[in-house]
Amino acid sequence: MARIVVDPITRIEGHLRIEAEIEGGFIKDAWSSATMFRGIEKILRGRDPRDAWFWTQRFCGVCTTVHSIASVRAVEDALKIKIPPNAQLIRNIIMGIQNVQDHVIHFYHLHALDWVDITSGLKADPTKTAALAASLSDWPNNSATYFKAVQDKVKAFVASGRLGPFANAYWGHPAYKLPPEANLMATAHYLEALEWQKDVIKIHAILGSKNPHPQSFLVGGMSIPIDPDSQNALNADKLMEIKRLLKKAQDFVEKVYIPDLLAVASFYKEWAAIGGGLGNYMSYGEFPDANGNLWFPSGALLDKDLSKVITVDQGKIAEYVDHSWFEGAGTGKGLHPFDGETEVRYTGPKPPYANLDTNAKYSFVKSPRYEEKAMEVGPLARILVAYASGHKETKAVVDLVLGKLGVGAPALFSTLGRTAARGIDALLIAQQTPKWLDELIGNISKGDYRIHNNERWDPSTWPTEAKGYGFHEAPRGALGHWIKIKDQKIQNYQAVVPSTWNASPRDAKGQRGAYEAALVGTPVADANKPLEILRTIHSFDPCLACAVHVMDVDGNEVVRVKVS
Amino acid sequence: MSEPLIFKRYYVWQLPVRICHWVNALSVLLLSISGFLIGYPVIVGSSPESFLMGWVRFIHFVAGYALIISVISRLLWSLNDHCFSGWREYFPFLTREGRKQILVMLKFYFFIDRKTPDAVGHNQLAVTAYVGLFLIFFGMFVSGFALYAEYAPGGTMHAVLNPVYLILSTQTLHLYHHIGMWLIICFVINHIYSVWLLDIKEKGGEITSIFSGYKYTTKVHVFSEGKECDENGCFIKVKK
Amino acid sequence: MSKQQNSDASEKTEQSLETREYSVGEILKQRGVSRRDFLKFCTAMTAAMSLPASFATSVAQALDEVKRPTLVWLNFQDCTGDSEALLRAANPTVGEIILDILSVDYHETIMAAAGHQADEALESTITKYKGKYLCVVEGSISMKDDGVYGCTSGKTHLEIARKVCGSAAATIAIGTCAAYGGIAAAVPNPTGAVGVKDAVPGATVINLPGCPCNADNLTATIVHYLVFGKIPALDGKGRPLFAYGKRIHDNCERRPHFDAGQYVEHWGDNAHRKGFCLYKMGCKGPATFHNCPTQRYNEKTSWPVASGHGCAGCSEPQFWDTMGPMYKRLPNVPGFGIEQTADKIGLGMAVGVGAAFAVHGVISALRKDKKPEETREG
Repeated sequence: MARIVVDPITRIEGHLRIEAEIEGGFIKDAWSSATMFRGIEKILRGRDPRDAWFWTQRFCGVCTTVHSIASVRAVEDALKIKIPPNAQLIRNIIMGIQNVQDHVIHFYHLHALDWVDITSGLKADPTKTAALAASLSDWPNNSATYFKAVQDKVKAFVASGRLGPFANAYWGHPAYKLPPEANLMATAHYLEALEWQKDVIKIHAILGSKNPHPQSFLVGGMSIPIDPDSQNALNADKLMEIKRLLKKAQDFVEKVYIPDLLAVASFYKEWAAIGGGLGNYMSYGEFPDANGNLWFPSGALLDKDLSKVITVDQGKIAEYVDHSWFEGAGTGKGLHPFDGETEVRYTGPKPPYANLDTNAKYSFVKSPRYEEKAMEVGPLARILVAYASGHKETKAVVDLVLGKLGVGAPALFSTLGRTAARGIDALLIAQQTPKWLDELIGNISKGDYRIHNNERWDPSTWPTEAKGYGFHEAPRGALGHWIKIKDQKIQNYQAVVPSTWNASPRDAKGQRGAYEAALVGTPVADANKPLEILRTIHSFDPCLACAVHVMDVDGNEVVRVKVS
Repeated sequence: MSEPLIFKRYYVWQLPVRICHWVNALSVLLLSISGFLIGYPVIVGSSPESFLMGWVRFIHFVAGYALIISVISRLLWSLNDHCFSGWREYFPFLTREGRKQILVMLKFYFFIDRKTPDAVGHNQLAVTAYVGLFLIFFGMFVSGFALYAEYAPGGTMHAVLNPVYLILSTQTLHLYHHIGMWLIICFVINHIYSVWLLDIKEKGGEITSIFSGYKYTTKVHVFSEGKECDENGCFIKVKK
Repeated sequence: MSKQQNSDASEKTEQSLETREYSVGEILKQRGVSRRDFLKFCTAMTAAMSLPASFATSVAQALDEVKRPTLVWLNFQDCTGDSEALLRAANPTVGEIILDILSVDYHETIMAAAGHQADEALESTITKYKGKYLCVVEGSISMKDDGVYGCTSGKTHLEIARKVCGSAAATIAIGTCAAYGGIAAAVPNPTGAVGVKDAVPGATVINLPGCPCNADNLTATIVHYLVFGKIPALDGKGRPLFAYGKRIHDNCERRPHFDAGQYVEHWGDNAHRKGFCLYKMGCKGPATFHNCPTQRYNEKTSWPVASGHGCAGCSEPQFWDTMGPMYKRLPNVPGFGIEQTADKIGLGMAVGVGAAFAVHGVISALRKDKKPEETREG
């Protein structure tokens, strides 16, 4: 039995380390460890709750809007603030394009190189590549000249003698199965997506000043004013620019991303049986309308059972620290995020180290569990919950994709399923977001310019003590923030983020986290080049900076504030 | 029957001292009002062409320059040999006799004793407070000009004040600048009250002295070096 | 492609590296970038560096001569926001940076290699180009408990930083975390986070703070280094003057409203819609040096003030502690409640002093004066 270590796991956000035991060409057991810690929640204590979104936004610069959204929602929940419909629509558009852009970047720039061998594309015939591409979609760039130009570019790059970020990869690995033409097409789209993503995300700049880290969130609404007769507010010109960019986003997803995804997936169908993992899925649901009804439904599924959708109750979430570098009451029994009491204490080996002691504590990520069960979150969970709940739009797209690949719904419980679900998610949201924009335009034409609810802006209007939580179904899955406010200050702040669920180490009962469970049974052809590990891990789209945090509450104060 | 009291007239505040005093007072008033309005603009301009905040800031800067010039002038004037405005008089806490007189003044304020210090010009406690005030002024000049100079980074003033920026952030400077203003306002309240109180209690024309320059007193000023002064505020030889 | 072929390719790669290095200009030509596009890029860079337009030709000339230099990008205690900013770069785009201008030999977020192969890429790069490569650091470096709060491939970030930044030609600390410790270093700084200069005092460091840094400032700094062969002039806080030489407030498009006395009082009010000054909403533009108002973000689309929200002061050291609370003009006074501004405390103090003296005055008035005879005795 061989123990292998992949550290750093690259093409993710943050610092992730995977240790795995391999026996007979398959992974027998695996451990996921986060090796970086900042402690932002501890830093947040004592600060103005209205500032929290700006701090939590820095949990992550990749899913850069999600923690702002969850944070303002948590404070709004605590202070009982209802935001105006326009603010909700603006947030929906921001979240929507964040999802689409994030998924495309993930597919092409973080995940594709696990399936696509760029060097093989050098041998491709551009004419055949164009024919292949044209058979998939009517994207205007599907010409032989275009693919020839890309191929020449890559050739010149390789000839320059410096492979830069593409050096030392697993090129030529036997697990790469795409024909040269598909590889060339994907390489071309890798470069095209790089250009595309910086354009479509300008929607964040228009609505929120910049991306990454847009700056127009407010507790109670948004700061981007609406006034068709002002050049310093959202006006017709800016709205049309958003419309154009949303169209561009939708076109790319429909004509490039989804066709590429289907084409690549058709060569790797065996991955529909690998990397299934936990089989428990949870989604908080997302995209509320003016009345708070969610477009994507919330719910949970257990043991891959699509016939029964469980209602999610935030009170049933608890975090364990039995295998995390923290100490306190979270050992042995889980603590609800409102009631946590934990202090960081690193007990791992002294660096530099070769291996972690995975029988003891081995990660800065905690182990959140729902009713003591490990859950997988993310686009797959979101799509499965929507599919099982009978969400009309989701059902149509999922059935279409399954039909095209010629597989049944169980194929979704896999590494390939995760990657496919991300595409389905992007497609659904790319098609839905323009409708929210139209709704916003409709409101504006009726003269509704409200973007912020001022009633509870002034801290003197707040109760002495308040607490609340904010859920957000982020690109990477179910995200929750919990806040306790006392004397107009943050008394405690806690975030349980998607990658905490997925990257979690074992809990008190020894149950594996989602990454760990999904890796078990994965084949590894060459232990020295564990490409297969990257495939499964990347299919989750890890985001580790978010996942690592500390909850820190003064134990005495916890007793006084009862959990509702 | 006791002897009749002899009130002697002393020329305590020379003209430059009085001018500096009133320039200081006026600038502090203007600086406080304009400063407060900069921190909390209650003015509402009617059009972008108006320059209300601009003028408020202009007044603040002009008054700031006036104050620093006045304070520097006063410091230079303190190099002269006058009994009541010379620099020697400003550090009574350094001598035993001076500290005794400070204690006398404190006892008076706390109703422990009715006696006031042996002072003709500034009393020893007041003069100590003025040293404190000048230190606050210094802090205000440093923080104020450091904030002011940020409009022209790379300029001489900015370069000279560079160490300040490395120690304190701009926001901290703002904070200290605000706190400094409130300390000065507290001083002003104290100052006006004390002048009024001593004017009544000592009957020496305390208030009018800052206009006329003359004070009337029965006392003999205690100087640290055991010197004495004449009615014009000039030192005279000590007779032992 | 078989393993054999693969190793052939890398051998060939090595060979061509030995025999010939190409200039940026040549590579662009090979890559099919027209001379016109190249000059356009040079002009944009010239503008970004605040140089007169006439410099564009010398920028082009210099880039023509510069070989594609090596860059390694290290992620420490970060959120990857600066890497994401790099992905949004427009002049040049990230594609051009990676393929044409630089040889980005290590960047965990984008590189194809992983695990020990990634490690080896870093190791061989810093050995081969010792003293010649550029290093970009993103994220703060934990110093507490020997740096165990940040590890990559079993090594602490502190150890990696000392090694990699120590033998770089220059290190660019991108973002406020790498420059000054950033959010992780905010009170109480649980992990002892510091910026690069504090972790590796001997390194040549250019600070490009911002949360995240504006990618245009990064590319301009790199080009400045390539073109002029030296690092740009820095201010007292280690930031290039071309990007941090002026206060946001003094370049702000809403400055006339400030001078006029026209302020936003509530979010969404008429003043807000008309683009009045955000001073009273806590804007930190008057305390922040950065080129946001002119350079803007996402291909000059917008910047915080233009979206109706005040500046957060993100390019200043320790801004997390000194610039907050975000919606107030002044920082809180330590030891007092969150609503207790310096001015409320000051006003309280003044009222207290006034009241104390009023009482004193009443007592003094009621108190019997000394008889003149007694004066004599004293």
